[in-house]
Amino acid sequence: MSVKKFIADVKEYLGLDDFKKSGKKKSIKRLLEKLKARKEILDKIPKKKLDKKEKKELKEELAIITLQIKKGEKILDTLNSKDPKNSKNKKEK
Amino acid sequence: MLRKIFLPSILIILAYGFWISPDFKEISAGVAIFLFGMIALEEGFKAFSGGTLEKILQKSTDKLYKSIGFGFITTAMMQSSSLVSVLTISFLGAGLIGLTQGVGIILGANIGTTTGAWLMAGFGLKVKISSYAMPMLVFGVILIFQKAKSLKGLGYILAGLGFLFLGIHYMKEGFEAFKDTVDLASLSVGGLKGLFIFIGVGILATVIMQSSHATIVLILAALSVGQISYENALALTIGANIGTTITAIIGSLSSNIDGKRLAAAHLIFNITTAVIAVVIMDQMITTVSAISDFIGISPDNHTLKLAVFDSLFKIMGVVIFIPFVDKLVKFLQIRLKPSVVSEAKSFDTVKYLNDSVLETSMTAMAAIKKETKHLYDNAFEIITHGLNIKRSNILSEMPLEEVVQDLYSQSAVDIDDFYHHRIKGIYGEIIDFSTKAQSQMPSEYIEELYKIKLANRDIVEAVKDTKHLQKNLVKYCQSTNEHIKSEYDNMRKDLAELLRTIHMITISDQEDEILLLLSKAKIHTERYDIIANGKLDNLIRNGLISNEMATSLMNDSGYAYNISTNLIAMAEIIYVTDNSEMIIEEEEVKEILNQKDEQ
Repeated sequence: MSVKKFIADVKEYLGLDDFKKSGKKKSIKRLLEKLKARKEILDKIPKKKLDKKEKKELKEELAIITLQIKKGEKILDTLNSKDPKNSKNKKEK
Repeated sequence: MLRKIFLPSILIILAYGFWISPDFKEISAGVAIFLFGMIALEEGFKAFSGGTLEKILQKSTDKLYKSIGFGFITTAMMQSSSLVSVLTISFLGAGLIGLTQGVGIILGANIGTTTGAWLMAGFGLKVKISSYAMPMLVFGVILIFQKAKSLKGLGYILAGLGFLFLGIHYMKEGFEAFKDTVDLASLSVGGLKGLFIFIGVGILATVIMQSSHATIVLILAALSVGQISYENALALTIGANIGTTITAIIGSLSSNIDGKRLAAAHLIFNITTAVIAVVIMDQMITTVSAISDFIGISPDNHTLKLAVFDSLFKIMGVVIFIPFVDKLVKFLQIRLKPSVVSEAKSFDTVKYLNDSVLETSMTAMAAIKKETKHLYDNAFEIITHGLNIKRSNILSEMPLEEVVQDLYSQSAVDIDDFYHHRIKGIYGEIIDFSTKAQSQMPSEYIEELYKIKLANRDIVEAVKDTKHLQKNLVKYCQSTNEHIKSEYDNMRKDLAELLRTIHMITISDQEDEILLLLSKAKIHTERYDIIANGKLDNLIRNGLISNEMATSLMNDSGYAYNISTNLIAMAEIIYVTDNSEMIIEEEEVKEILNQKDEQ
C-alpha cells in the first residue's frame, strides 16, 4: 500500500475530509434558521397599519429574504448531494 | 556601540574558556545543543500552527482563567515559553486578543515552564538520557527531509527533543568531569550577598541564552553533581525568571504599543515575584521542605526540591497577581502611550501593521483586514465631508431629508489634502505589507489577500470619485434651478443612506442582518441610477435643465454610482466573513427590481 493511499484511508476512516464541509453545512443551516425566523416576523406585521413607504420597504425585505432562503437551500442541497453519508443512505433506501 | 563590543567579547571569553578547560567546552556544547533543540522544537510546532494553534488561542482566551490555562498547557507541551510569548505578541499586534488576555497567557506560560524543571529533575538526571536522544535524532532528521509539511514538522519536533536530551547529557557529563578538576562549590557565596550575586548571574545567563529553560537545566545539572549549593541554585532560579523577560522585550520591539505593554507587564510581574521571593526566602525554603516531605522527596534530593521551589515561586507569583491584572493593564495603558511624531502629526499612519504580526499567516491577514477597516473609517470621513454632510448625522437616526439640509461647511473641503494626509500613506503601507506577508503565506490565504487588496482599491477609488463629484455638487446645491438642486440633493441623500447602511453593517454581528443590508444597498444603487431609471431623459425632454446641467448630472451620477458599487464591493469582502455566496448577485437584483416594477 502506498503512503498516499494509506493517508487517504486514514482520512476517510477519521472523516477528516468532511470536516470543512460539515462546518460549512452547519454555518448555512444556522443562517437559514435566522433568515426563516426573520421572514416569519416580517410576515406577521399587519400591513394595513403601514404607510406606503413602510409597505414598500417591507415588500423589498421580504423579497430579499425569500431569495436568500432559496439560495441557501440550494447550497445546502448541493453540499448534501456531495456528502457520501447521504448518498449511502439514499442508496439503502 | 555596546552591541558591537558585546558579541566579540562573549566569543573571546568562550574561546579562552575552551582553551583552558575541555570540560567547560563540553558544558558549553551541551548548552548550545540544548538551545538548538529548542529552536528545532519551535520550528516543528510552527509547522503545526498553520491555523490550529491560532484558532485555539483565539477561542480559548476570552476569560482570564482560560488565558492562563492556555499559556500553561501550550508552554508545558512545547517546553518553550518563547514561542508562546512571540505568538501572543503577534496576536496582540493584530488586535485579535486584548492586553488582559495577553497578560493571562504570559502568567500561564510562566507556570508552564516549571514542567521543564520537573522533567529534568525527575527524569533527565535519573536515566541515561542520551540513549533516547540518538534514535530521536535519526528519525527526526529523516523526517525533516520529507516534503509533506506535517512529516517535516514531526521531524523537527523529534530532532528538537533529541537535541534537548543530548544537550542535557553533555551538560551533565561536563559538570561531572569538571568536578574532578575545579570545585565550583568552593566559589559559593552565602547570605544576602550570595543571594544577590547569584540572582545577577541567573539574569545574565538567561539574557545571553535567551532561555530560562536552558538556565534552569544548567542549574539542575550543576546542582546534581554538587557544583553549586542549593541556596545559590535557588537564587539562580529567581534570576533566570527575571532574565526570561528579555524574549518578550526583544519580540515587542517590532510590535505595536500593546506588544510593548505586554513586555512591560511581563517584566513587572517577574520582578515583583522575585522581590517577594527574596523578602520571604526563609519562609519559602521552609515551605519547600514541608512540601517535599509531604510528597516524599528525600531532604538531600536538592534537584527535585529545586523543581518544587521553581513551581511554588511561580505559582505564588501568579496567584498574587491575578486580582491585579485589570489594574496592571489600566496602568500600562495610561503609562505607555503610542509615540506621536510632532512634525507628521496630521498624517495618519497604520495601526495594526508591524513585523510581529508576520509571525503567522492568520495574524498577518487579520491585521491587514483591520487596517483596511481603519482606511475605510478615514474614507468615510472624507466622503461625508466631500458630500457636505456631517458625519455625526449619518451615524445618528436623523431622517435623511434633514441630514442633507444640515451642511458640514459653507465652502468645499480640500479632498486632495485630506487624501494625502489620511489615505495615501495607509493605502501604500497596506499594499507594501500585503506583498511582504504574501511571500510567507500558504496558497489558501493568497486568494483572500488578493480580495482584501481589491477592497482597499475600492475604498481609494470611492474617495477619488467623491473628489470629482464634489466640484459640481457644491455648485448645483446652491443653484436657483430647483430641479437640478433637487437632483443633486437626492444624490447626496442616496449616498448618505448607503454610508449609514455600511455603518450599520460595521457594527452588526448578525450575519443575516449584514446580508440583508448589503442586498438592500445593492438594490437601491441600481434603483437610484438616474440614467438607468429614465429620470435624466425626462428632465432633458421637458427642458427643465440646461444642456450643461444635463452633462454634469450625467457624469456625476456616474461618479455616485461608482462610489456606491465600490463601497458595497468593499463591504462584501471585509464584513461578510462566512457565507459570501449568499450575497445576492446582479441578476438577482434585477429580478427583485422587475418584481417591483410589475407590482
